[in-house]
Amino acid sequence: MSSLLIAGYEFHSRLFTGTGKYASADAMMDSLTASESELVTLSLRRMDLKNHTDNILQPLQQHGIKLLPNTSGARTAKEAVFAAELAREALETHWVKLEIHPDPRYLMPDGMETLLAAEELIKKGFVVMPYVHADPVLCKRLEEVGCQCVMPLGSPIGSNMGLASRPFLEIIIEQSRVPVIIDAGIGAPSDASLAMELGADAVLVNTAMAVAKHPAQMGKAFRLAVEAGRMAYESGLGAKRIQAQATSPLTDFLGALS
Amino acid sequence: MKIVLNDVPYEFTGNTLEDLLNELGKSQQGIAIAINQQVVPKSVWCATKLNEQSQVFIFESIAGG
Repeated sequence: MSSLLIAGYEFHSRLFTGTGKYASADAMMDSLTASESELVTLSLRRMDLKNHTDNILQPLQQHGIKLLPNTSGARTAKEAVFAAELAREALETHWVKLEIHPDPRYLMPDGMETLLAAEELIKKGFVVMPYVHADPVLCKRLEEVGCQCVMPLGSPIGSNMGLASRPFLEIIIEQSRVPVIIDAGIGAPSDASLAMELGADAVLVNTAMAVAKHPAQMGKAFRLAVEAGRMAYESGLGAKRIQAQATSPLTDFLGALS
Repeated sequence: MKIVLNDVPYEFTGNTLEDLLNELGKSQQGIAIAINQQVVPKSVWCATKLNEQSQVFIFESIAGG
């Protein structure tokens, strides 16, 4: 299986992960370890000065996994740029998962604000990984302004509805000159496998691993699914056809019996 | 001095941002700070003095997807 390059950084795993929704830091680390993921997302918030927060940063840093802060909570380009600058200080990385979703119900990404923020962040030297609708036109625009990859959604965040946007993902994959990472909605390893078989460069999975009854085992299941899907893609899948095409030669060797 | 910390009035006895974190008992890891809507680089926290009514926001990294 080939490795994946983003902004000159080489990933051996094509499974990117999130840290949200795990029952504990231990469950998260077990799951991430089993997944063999090399990139994990984190969020920022105003510090809770009254309560102690479970420290997930230390085990992640000890593990050595690359950290990818997101701009979740930003509703405009201006807020997202501010969040990215804060994240750069907090986590000492100039990589950012750019996500701007003003609507808390469906968490639909705002494409116009995302494009504006991407342009500004790229000028400021960030490696921008934009989370967007499966919109082929927007993905090309983001590529043109210098995004190092695009992250179109399969279906709404946390919905487990899989690749509802499949026809558009296929167009994005065909057209893109930067890596395409399918993010959001991947609910089962089979969804991840399908994304990889379609030619996606990577997938990002959070909810499906975090809320599983056995997060570590689910982490491994996703690892295997992503590897299988990518291997199948690289091996070359056969074309689909309506008519049967015999696998065994149809000779007339039983003809004499009738 | 009286500052505003994460939107709440706060009585601060030190001088710098570093003093503030020490007073709060917070590690510098995974944290970002903004004063009056400007991000303050970690490298200058020890030299950044707070003033009366400074609007300070401290952010921390948490789990997220």
